[in-house]
Amino acid sequence: MSAPPPTAPRAAPGYHVPSLGYRILVAALRLIPAFFVLVILPVAALTFVHSKGVAVPISTLAVTEWGILLVALGAARYILRPTRAFGPVSIAASAVALLYLVYAVSLSPYRLTIPGGSASIAAGYALFLELLMIIPAIGIVVGVLVTAEDARSPSERLIFEYPA
Amino acid sequence: MAGLVVPTHRQPPAIYRLARALRWLSVLVLVVLVLFATTVAYSAVEVARSSPQSSGLSASLAANGSIEVGGSFTLLNPGFYPIQGFQLTARIANLSGVFLGQLGVGPSEIAPGSTGTFPIALYVPVSTSGVVASLLTEDQYLRVNAWGNATYAYLFPISVELTENRSWGAPFANFAATAGTPTGGGGSISVPVTVSFANHASFGESGSLVFTIVSAANADCGTTSFPLDVGPGGSYDRTQDVTLAAGCSPAGGELLGEYSYGGAAVPLPPEAIP
Repeated sequence: MSAPPPTAPRAAPGYHVPSLGYRILVAALRLIPAFFVLVILPVAALTFVHSKGVAVPISTLAVTEWGILLVALGAARYILRPTRAFGPVSIAASAVALLYLVYAVSLSPYRLTIPGGSASIAAGYALFLELLMIIPAIGIVVGVLVTAEDARSPSERLIFEYPA
Repeated sequence: MAGLVVPTHRQPPAIYRLARALRWLSVLVLVVLVLFATTVAYSAVEVARSSPQSSGLSASLAANGSIEVGGSFTLLNPGFYPIQGFQLTARIANLSGVFLGQLGVGPSEIAPGSTGTFPIALYVPVSTSGVVASLLTEDQYLRVNAWGNATYAYLFPISVELTENRSWGAPFANFAATAGTPTGGGGSISVPVTVSFANHASFGESGSLVFTIVSAANADCGTTSFPLDVGPGGSYDRTQDVTLAAGCSPAGGELLGEYSYGGAAVPLPPEAIP
């Protein structure tokens, strides 16, 4: 008995998996709002704040790099959803998100010195980010469960994710 | 004859159901946290817009013979979340860094939609020696270092630090007290004592100035009292005779002054008599 192929089954009784081209197209469309939320919006906010002479806690380059990585993994996750790679890619995407949050926590508290140096404000946000870490942590668990499910019974979940 | 078709609904496997439930849970957590962050940001902007205010800040000579800086500090919290553990500390030093006094407020909580008003009072004991004495007679800049801590919306610790140089107007600026040449003869010898200063403080002075001539042997030669009522920005220049005790010579001694007001007294810097 041979192992099931890693590629997505095109069609099988009980479910209908969209074609690779269609999934790439939808992933590209989903990429637009994700790119806006994870890259454009934070970079624009940081650039605006920086233009007002206020030091920013994180560089725009770092935000861009982390954002692109997350967006790319999100798109890959969508394209690979019908395949056995979905679980591992989900784990990877969540792990990257978790690392991003750990990196952001390491930058807390944010210290703002008013130009002239007479006043400074420090705002801590580590607790909030630690709560936010619940989401990628759950994502990793979900990825592990999906990987286990795909190993136990390949294609079984497709009936429920892509019902015919 | 066609057979009866019974629709079957296959139950997803438990592991898949668990994964799906967890996915929904993470979406729920995300929505809750995004809503929380949005309302916190809105509330924080509202708090910042209402800007903390200090009112009635004034300096005066207190009844315990010290310089008092008093007033109140008001912090509005128009947001949705409490300001917890609010603490404010202010420390005053001169420009050389010599500590003069400190005040503290809190810790206290300001509930959402309420206003926290905190009375503040800072006392600087006055003495005739050291840096503090110069507060009476020398205009100068004082370094005010204030810092506050609070936790906003349960999760966000915030600290603010402010350093500012504030000008201090001395209540007895350019103070001078001089004993003149003794005059008279026989059984009564008197010495003219001249006192002058300018009141650069923000408060008025009302009471009396009491001066004692002390001999080089530390004996009281005589005392005189000057009536005093000088408003902020006013000046004072007056001469009065002091009748010396028999056989007491002021030469080489000191002129000791004291500002008496409202049952309290503040010593003034001593002046040597040549």
